[in-house]
Amino acid sequence: MIRRARTRRHRPEVNCREVGKVLQSYLDDDVEPGFADKIAKHLEACRDCGLEVETYRRIKASLAAKLPEVDTAAIDRLRAFGEQLTSGDE
Amino acid sequence: MSEPAVDELAQKAAFDRYVVPELEVLYRVARSITRNPTDAEDLVQDTMLRAYRAILRFDGRHPRAWLLTIMRNAQINRVRRKRPELLRDPDAAMERLADEDSQDLGPEALVVESEFDAAVEKAVGALPDKFREVVDLVDIQGLSYAEAAEIIGVPTGTIMSRLHRARTRIRKHLEASGAYVNGRPT
Repeated sequence: MIRRARTRRHRPEVNCREVGKVLQSYLDDDVEPGFADKIAKHLEACRDCGLEVETYRRIKASLAAKLPEVDTAAIDRLRAFGEQLTSGDE
Repeated sequence: MSEPAVDELAQKAAFDRYVVPELEVLYRVARSITRNPTDAEDLVQDTMLRAYRAILRFDGRHPRAWLLTIMRNAQINRVRRKRPELLRDPDAAMERLADEDSQDLGPEALVVESEFDAAVEKAVGALPDKFREVVDLVDIQGLSYAEAAEIIGVPTGTIMSRLHRARTRIRKHLEASGAYVNGRPT
C-alpha cells in the first residue's frame, strides 16, 4: 500500500483508477487532448494499465478486422433503384 | 407550369448529393441491424424512398445522421409489421432474440484467423443484442458514437455506456475462455 502511494506521488498527473475509468474513451479518441497526453504518459509508466490498454486495443483491432466485404452487386442494384427513383419511374 | 420540373431537378440533385454517396454505409448498417441481405436491401430501398420524398426539406447538414434516422424509423415500422410482440414487451423480445442468436453464430463464425480472434468472435456472439449491435455499428462498421445513436434512437451517452460494457464483457469472456493477452492470462 505504501509503495503504491509513493508510486502515485511520482505520477501525480493521473492515477490508475482515473485511467481505468476513461480507458475506453481514450481508445476511441473521445477525451480532451491535454488529458489524453496525461493518460498516454501514465500508460507508458504503468505496466498494469499499459497491458490493460493493449488488451482493449487488440479487441478493437480484432473487431475492426471483421468488417465484411460489401456486396457490390447489392450496391449496384441500390444505385439503379436510386436512378429509377429520381427519373420518376418508381 | 415549370415549377414541378424545377422541384424535380432540385430533388434529384439533392438526392445525388446527399443520399447516393451514403449507399454503401446505409447497406452495411442495414446488414448489421437486419442480419439478412434481402431484408437489408429492402430496408435501404425503403430509406431511399423516404429520403427522396423528404429531401427538399432537408437542410443539408449531417446527411448520414439524417439518413440513419430515416432508416431507424423505417426499420421500426418493418419490425412492427413482422413481429407485433415486440411492441408489447420489447426488452423481453430482444433478450429472446439475443438468446436465439447466440445459439447460432452463422457460417462466418467458422472463419477465424487466430485463437484470439476466435475468442473475440465467440464473445461478440454471446453478447445481448443491444450490446452486440453497438459493437457492430461502432467497432466493426466504424460509425461514430453519434451516428450509432441516430440509428438506434438512444442518447450518445447510452451508446458509450453500452459499448464500454460490451467490450468489458468481451474481455471477461476472453479471461473465462483462457485466451491469453500479451503473453499472460487475461
